[in-house]
Amino acid sequence: MRRSLLGRVWPNAVAVLLFVFFVFPVYWMATTAFKPDIDIISRTPDFVPLHGTLAHFDKAVHASGFWTLVRNSFTVTLGAVLLSLAIALLASFALARMRFRGRKAFVLVVMVAQMAPWEVMTISVYMIVRDQDQLNSLLPLTLFYMMMVLPFTIWTLRGFIAAVPKELEESALVDGCTRVQAFGRVVFPLLAPGLMATSLFGFITAWNEFPLVLILNKQSGQTLPLWLTQFQTNFGDDWGATMAASTLFTVPVVIVFLILQRKAVGGLTAGAVKG
Amino acid sequence: MRKRRAAIAVLGATVMAVSVAACGSGKSDKASGPGDFKGKTLTVWLMSGSNPPGWTKDITAAFEKKYPGAKLSVQVQQWNGIQQKLTTALSEDTPPDVVEVGNTQTPYYAATGGLMDLTGDKAALGGNDWTPAMNASAVYQGKQFAAPWYFSNRVVVYNKKIWADAGIKDTPRTQDDLFKDLDAIKAKGTQDALYAPGQDWYSFDGFLLDAGADLVRKNGDSYVSNLDSPQAAAAVNLYKKLNSYGTAPKDKDEATPQQSDVFAKGDVGAFIGFGWEAAGAIAKNPQLKDEIGYFPIPGRTADKPARVFLGGSNLAVSQASKNPELAKDFLKLALSDQFEGELAKEGGVIPNKTSLDSNLAGNPFATAASTAAANGGTTPLIPAWGNVENKPNPISTIFMTGVLQGQDPSAAAKQADAEINKRLSQKQ
Amino acid sequence: MGAQSTGTRTRPPSGSTPPTPPPPADRGRTAGGLAARGAPYLLILPALLATAALLAYPLLRNLLISFQNLNAFQLIQHTTEWTGFGNYTDQLTSSAFWHTAFRSVLFTAANVALIMAGGTLVGLLLNRLGKRMRLLLSLGLILAWAMPFVAGTTVYQWLFDSQYGVVNWGLAKLGWHAMAGYNWFGGQFSTFSVITVMIVWQSVPFVALNLYAGLTTISAELFEAARMDGATAWRTFRSVTFPILRPFFLSTTFLEIIWVFKAFTQVYALNAGGPAGSTETLPVYAFIEGVGNQHYGVGAAISTLTILILLALMSYYFRIILKQEDDL
Repeated sequence: MRRSLLGRVWPNAVAVLLFVFFVFPVYWMATTAFKPDIDIISRTPDFVPLHGTLAHFDKAVHASGFWTLVRNSFTVTLGAVLLSLAIALLASFALARMRFRGRKAFVLVVMVAQMAPWEVMTISVYMIVRDQDQLNSLLPLTLFYMMMVLPFTIWTLRGFIAAVPKELEESALVDGCTRVQAFGRVVFPLLAPGLMATSLFGFITAWNEFPLVLILNKQSGQTLPLWLTQFQTNFGDDWGATMAASTLFTVPVVIVFLILQRKAVGGLTAGAVKG
Repeated sequence: MRKRRAAIAVLGATVMAVSVAACGSGKSDKASGPGDFKGKTLTVWLMSGSNPPGWTKDITAAFEKKYPGAKLSVQVQQWNGIQQKLTTALSEDTPPDVVEVGNTQTPYYAATGGLMDLTGDKAALGGNDWTPAMNASAVYQGKQFAAPWYFSNRVVVYNKKIWADAGIKDTPRTQDDLFKDLDAIKAKGTQDALYAPGQDWYSFDGFLLDAGADLVRKNGDSYVSNLDSPQAAAAVNLYKKLNSYGTAPKDKDEATPQQSDVFAKGDVGAFIGFGWEAAGAIAKNPQLKDEIGYFPIPGRTADKPARVFLGGSNLAVSQASKNPELAKDFLKLALSDQFEGELAKEGGVIPNKTSLDSNLAGNPFATAASTAAANGGTTPLIPAWGNVENKPNPISTIFMTGVLQGQDPSAAAKQADAEINKRLSQKQ
Repeated sequence: MGAQSTGTRTRPPSGSTPPTPPPPADRGRTAGGLAARGAPYLLILPALLATAALLAYPLLRNLLISFQNLNAFQLIQHTTEWTGFGNYTDQLTSSAFWHTAFRSVLFTAANVALIMAGGTLVGLLLNRLGKRMRLLLSLGLILAWAMPFVAGTTVYQWLFDSQYGVVNWGLAKLGWHAMAGYNWFGGQFSTFSVITVMIVWQSVPFVALNLYAGLTTISAELFEAARMDGATAWRTFRSVTFPILRPFFLSTTFLEIIWVFKAFTQVYALNAGGPAGSTETLPVYAFIEGVGNQHYGVGAAISTLTILILLALMSYYFRIILKQEDDL
């Protein structure tokens, strides 16, 4: 493939511009976190904080109960993601591979479930949890976060399963595998990119959730989104600390992405070799 | 840390009352002896920023010493989403026992039935000496639903150097003097003689009160918005003039950006704000430490400062509290001269009794503020008022910004009044 | 084609054309008769139970609340006040509701169009880039996607601040001096512009990364063949890429419509629906009326109406997608 010089240069130029567009707000968040208070608001922007400070990070990490919140956030988020993946794998396999009465109705349920207005439903969820005497616990939080991402997870995984050639599975069956084994050895490895995309989505959604945890867990079982907003008070907003906290808050998502990214690529080639 | 504090308290208690500690037999039907508090935890919700660390430490120690076996759990609440948190918490079986409620929010929560009637305890809580202007918000339909805790009001915070450079010797005593001074500063080339963001509606409320009107007026049995009035027009025009002395945005409040951050840069002549804002500015720019001065917002005449909006907080006991007696005991302790005084001293806030104002000595902000506080007023003390303040607040977003951006006060007021009246008439 | 309804697909291990799922042949392979017929139901059972308990039930409670006068007082006192259709008639006869609904639809249409167009272009670009540049751009996309809303909205407020914002500073530096001190949040259109930039910025990564994953499944030979025929880039997209990835575009558009229509934090946090309520969308309206004002019955009624409007908007999609199911 030969392309003119211009043809080779412009995609890269555009890519750099786009990179700047997408990263700049993130960069601004991260650099603000390092700026001394006096430089945060400035008529001439300070693009590179040369006189950086770690004071904001120090304050963010030393907020009361920080490590408990970290633990709670991870418990709830990972619990919700894994649970939804498990439930969705079963359902999406049925959707992609089997024909049964009520199938369309189920598809419709999944699509409508996608539309649930969770922000406004907080009060009805709250009343249910309160009446079950489950406030201040991680369990309802995990379950509802799982539900928030379940429709999307089913929706996405089913597409991935459908894309795995059925012949592969059948040849495994011919080789004497049971249907479960065939799924585990042939289909599952090929699903890695799908699992990646869906778990990343689930992770971001559950990791960021705020309105529900705000009213469900007022005494204990709180998570990091509550910590993120605690540097804004009626007695002055500490933007440096907010940005430091937000930066720290973003790190796990990026790490999860990098891990999943590698796994995904690995799973893909492994599957292809086997096929 | 809390554990260690509790341990110290227990140690103190055993020294003080060895005999009592021996009889912690458990039954707690009647509040007769300190032993009855064994194993009880009193949960107190205080708002972020309200409780200074020294005060919190001291009152926890004093409480756990006075009620051996009982624990005090102070839970600091964030402002973000506090209304939903408070409403849902008050609906639960084990709500926090004591809650801090903003003074303008108190009638709303009193009307929900979530707060305990403290009328019978008023005298024991020291209520006979409370400054009437401060107690007003804690009373709803003639009953005492909370106790006034602390207050604060805005003053003019100014940069002494900039004012001195403009040749100003005394702080202004009248609004005319203030404008003369600001003109002089402006003439010296200071871009922001005064930084007054267009949606600081609490300041506007002060000017409205000073003009002799309230945000609502009675219309038969109900209340209606009062922005379409000559007094409101005068107040907003005054505010518009103040805003014109600097580059402060017309459609932002004092928190976006934080006005103290702007002031911290050292090139702003003055802003209208609180002591903690000045402290924030000093923290960001230590060079300002000796440059900051305070004076009450001048009135129309030199004999007294302008009326101001009195912000503050009350302490209330939740109706469903499992430890009502202990909760009232905590209130007694917190409102005692000792701890009310300590809060005023450490927190720089105005106490609920003028007799405790001596604690403000040496605090130039609080001294300036307290001269206007007794004359302060609040937003209308009706339950429906909370609806009006909900974001987006029509007073600031429709009325103030509208006028500051050039709309006729009466036209902007009609628009805002429509929205405010809609909110005032909402069912409770 | 047909069966695949989402874009990200695995690369086919062999062969050059995307796999066509064979017709269902599920009968009698394993345990036979009854067990096989029961299997799909067993597989979807956990999902159904979860949906019933964790979604349908709260939605039902929400529906019941929409027929009540439920405010802080009733919530704290645990009392129930039925008001019949009161909350609904109030909304349906209020011009504020209809204006907001209309605005929401326009807002969604504009944003989804921009997101799909932008996401597609970025996705195609990703496919064309070299390995290193692709990784760089992907990382940028992921960072934008991963940034928490609280930080995102705050940073955007700063970027577009009239006095201290980098955007105004940059525009003035570039010679557009009138933009120094320009107030982005002073008008309906400019506020919506900022919100749109932010939503597009947050949503494009999802579309672009998924589209790229989809593109990797299309064999290079197909593109080569199109090039040999002298097809322009646009024609190649129209006659090769788009038809193959049609299910991807269908379902991503479906998701984006839902997400943008429901977008709450971005719209609310940037300017609280201001100035003077002119940028309120339905979810913001429901939140301000319901949660902010603590009139939960009103909020529930608005949310129910919102779902109905969304269902109506989506009916076309439901039909297409369900028709696809027939092709299985």
